[in-house]
Amino acid sequence: MNLELLKTLVYFLPGGFLIFLAITITRDNFVSRLNRITGAMLFFAGIGPIAMVLGYMIEQSSTEGVPFNQTTLYNLYLIWEFFFPTLLVFAWLFPVDRLRTFKHPRLRYLVFIPQIMHLVIILFFSDINDLLNFLSSAENAEGLVGIITKPFAQLFSYLLVVLGFIRTYEVTIFGGINLFYVLTAIYFIETGKRFVTDPRLQTQTRVVIWAIRFGLGLLMISYLGAAVFSYEFPRGVNTALLLSALLIGGGIFTFAIIRHQFLDVQLFFRQSFIYTLISALLVGTYIILGVQSKKLMTPLFGDKADIVSYIFIIFLLLIFQPISSWIDNFIRSMFMHSRTDYRHIIERFSRQVISMFDPRQLRQTIEETLKTAILVEKVYFVLYQDNIDEYALIPSDDNTRQKVIDREDLMLRGINMLNVPTYFDSLSDYRNDSQLAEVLNEFKVKVILPMKDAEHLLGFLALTTKVAGYRYSAEDFNLLGVLSNQMVTALTNARLYVESMEKLRLEEELNMARQIQLDLLPSGPPVMNSVAISALSTPSRTVGGDFYDFIPNKANRRMGIVIADASGKGMPAALMIAQIHAMIHSEVNNGNSIATMLENMNNQVAVSTSSEKYVTLFYGELDETDNLFHFANAGHNYPILVRSGGEVELLDIGGPVIGAFPNMKYESSTVRLNSDDVLFLFTDGLSEAMNENGEEYTEDRIRRFLCDCRGHDPQLIMDMILEDVQKFDPHVPPQDDTTIIALKMTPNGLLLNERQA
Amino acid sequence: MKLNDRVQDDIVILEPKGKIMGGPDASLLHDKLHDYIEQDMKKVIIDLSKVDWMNSTGLGILISGLTTIRNNNGELKLANLTKKVQSLLTITKLVSVFEAYDSIDEAIKSFK
Repeated sequence: MNLELLKTLVYFLPGGFLIFLAITITRDNFVSRLNRITGAMLFFAGIGPIAMVLGYMIEQSSTEGVPFNQTTLYNLYLIWEFFFPTLLVFAWLFPVDRLRTFKHPRLRYLVFIPQIMHLVIILFFSDINDLLNFLSSAENAEGLVGIITKPFAQLFSYLLVVLGFIRTYEVTIFGGINLFYVLTAIYFIETGKRFVTDPRLQTQTRVVIWAIRFGLGLLMISYLGAAVFSYEFPRGVNTALLLSALLIGGGIFTFAIIRHQFLDVQLFFRQSFIYTLISALLVGTYIILGVQSKKLMTPLFGDKADIVSYIFIIFLLLIFQPISSWIDNFIRSMFMHSRTDYRHIIERFSRQVISMFDPRQLRQTIEETLKTAILVEKVYFVLYQDNIDEYALIPSDDNTRQKVIDREDLMLRGINMLNVPTYFDSLSDYRNDSQLAEVLNEFKVKVILPMKDAEHLLGFLALTTKVAGYRYSAEDFNLLGVLSNQMVTALTNARLYVESMEKLRLEEELNMARQIQLDLLPSGPPVMNSVAISALSTPSRTVGGDFYDFIPNKANRRMGIVIADASGKGMPAALMIAQIHAMIHSEVNNGNSIATMLENMNNQVAVSTSSEKYVTLFYGELDETDNLFHFANAGHNYPILVRSGGEVELLDIGGPVIGAFPNMKYESSTVRLNSDDVLFLFTDGLSEAMNENGEEYTEDRIRRFLCDCRGHDPQLIMDMILEDVQKFDPHVPPQDDTTIIALKMTPNGLLLNERQA
Repeated sequence: MKLNDRVQDDIVILEPKGKIMGGPDASLLHDKLHDYIEQDMKKVIIDLSKVDWMNSTGLGILISGLTTIRNNNGELKLANLTKKVQSLLTITKLVSVFEAYDSIDEAIKSFK
């Protein structure tokens, strides 16, 4: 008995599996013709083994009367033959939808006629036979009736012969028809393969074809071949062949279909499998309950047990639907949310794009995801381009030029109002005179997927038809909606990344500029016999507009000292300083007088820059032979000369700032520097250092401070004054570029300089 | 910086207020001057009495204004220099380049 049960189960499982798979596929997207026909095909394929199981069970249970395989009920199993016409219809739909090109697509149902005929003949053979017998008996009628009826009667008698013939050879005839169907279906699928250009679909078509070859091959050997050519395998072999044909063929086949049309094949199988088991369990429980109910009721209700058990069974039937739908929901919620497959895609997509900053790579990933997930044939991108401040069609394989889209384009404005993926056809209101609409039309765009960041349209995707012309389902639109949000995030990230890279690059350049500027400054103060010098320059930004240098004048053997401050800050000021650096070096080498040097520089800067850009500059030359300091001041903060006795002199003689107005005149002056005199040169960053009350440090305060600490050596004087300014205005770096040169006449200048070095 | 302007006896009087520090201040003064130059009003006095602070960029703006007017054969004069502006013009030795007067009236007189 256990073996019998196993046998039953072996038949029942594949059949049940196929039927539930059929239901699931149909249910998943009922509006899709391919889904419906695949569902129908799998359903009829599943009927076969199920009918076998039922027949087998009935055969086992009925011990008397007519053998079961000769009853009408037994012959109902022939319904499974509808598998063949559905297979044929399927072959018209897959891999290429040929039905769309049919003039009368409904004629496809004609292919069901032979199977219907077969069923009718088998089921109602005796009735039809009797009827035809009766009708053809009119052949012998006489007179007028005979004249009219005779041809018909003759026809009916022919039909009777045909019917008899069919009945005798039905297995061979209908087996042949079915075989023909199978071969035709294979032919259609094989030839349809040529029209498939999408590489993924090609693979799937190949898989389907192999499934069909394999499954139907076995089927033909075991059933059709046997039927047509009248040979017979032992029953076990036959069963094994049939079952593997159904299972392997149907399985691979379904796999390919699911992969082709749906998303998560594993989920799909799991779902079908669990449904089958659960349903079998439920049905089994019901059968047991139904059978056992009467037994259970008898001791409790006695005579009334019958009625009670019927009521109980009716009650069970009533709650069948709620229970099964509850189990359905439970399974869905536990194992397979209806969108799990989508979630999978979305999850993978967001994982991919989270670290993707190259816009081109990002677009590729988006395109691939759409092609895999929704089977879109082509994707076009229209994106807002920061660099041109316009929306533009991004070049793709068949569209090599970036096409800027007019801001006022009606279609663009229409798309701007969208929030969800929308059919392009439904935007017909915005087509008038729209170039964009024309382009999209040319590309055969079907769906527009807007990408909006809050209220701002980042751009949109234009999707063409799906491969092989399948329509977009409601799920597709859901998925597109979610993906578009992910894309917005990814695109924004990519843009921010590009911006930050740009910023990084600028910083890098700025750092290089800073290095160049540092290299323009002297590496240390010059070593002189009677003078000790300290100098320091601190820019308020990476690069600054201050400059100082020591330039030995070879012609007169004097030491040139320059301090300068370009108007403004940062890079523009730094560029001016670089120009000043070059000019003053060449002027010193040319051996011009100091006044001429400044005149030349002023004229050069005045013509080469706009007038609001200027430089204040002080240039002096110290002659160590006579301790005379020759200088000219071009609008620079007056250097402060503090005599050893505490008297203060300001070196103001010179002319206007360099570069503001051309043709300015400069005069130079000379001052003798005596032992222990301190000369202090600075830029306005020092004198204009501002405390939090908005007060400036002032030159007066510098002067007073210098008077107080004039006894120290220049390095210490500089440190002290910087410390004092720092206390006054604690900004680090200083708010403005700050430069100081402190110089002291001292007999042991050489010594001091060496100590500093 | 805020910039008021009025016309008195064919002479444009600009009155900047606050700090002249560059940035948008530059185009503000520049545009205003150009507006008047286009109307062929090229005698300009800048009243600096309400300018309490000016940095090197701010001075650049004044220099640029002077250049603009001169290139259009006009005249620009300064009036009512505050201490800070006075000292800045002195140090940069631009006092001699800019004509500066102690009051608007004196500046207006200088045009006649």
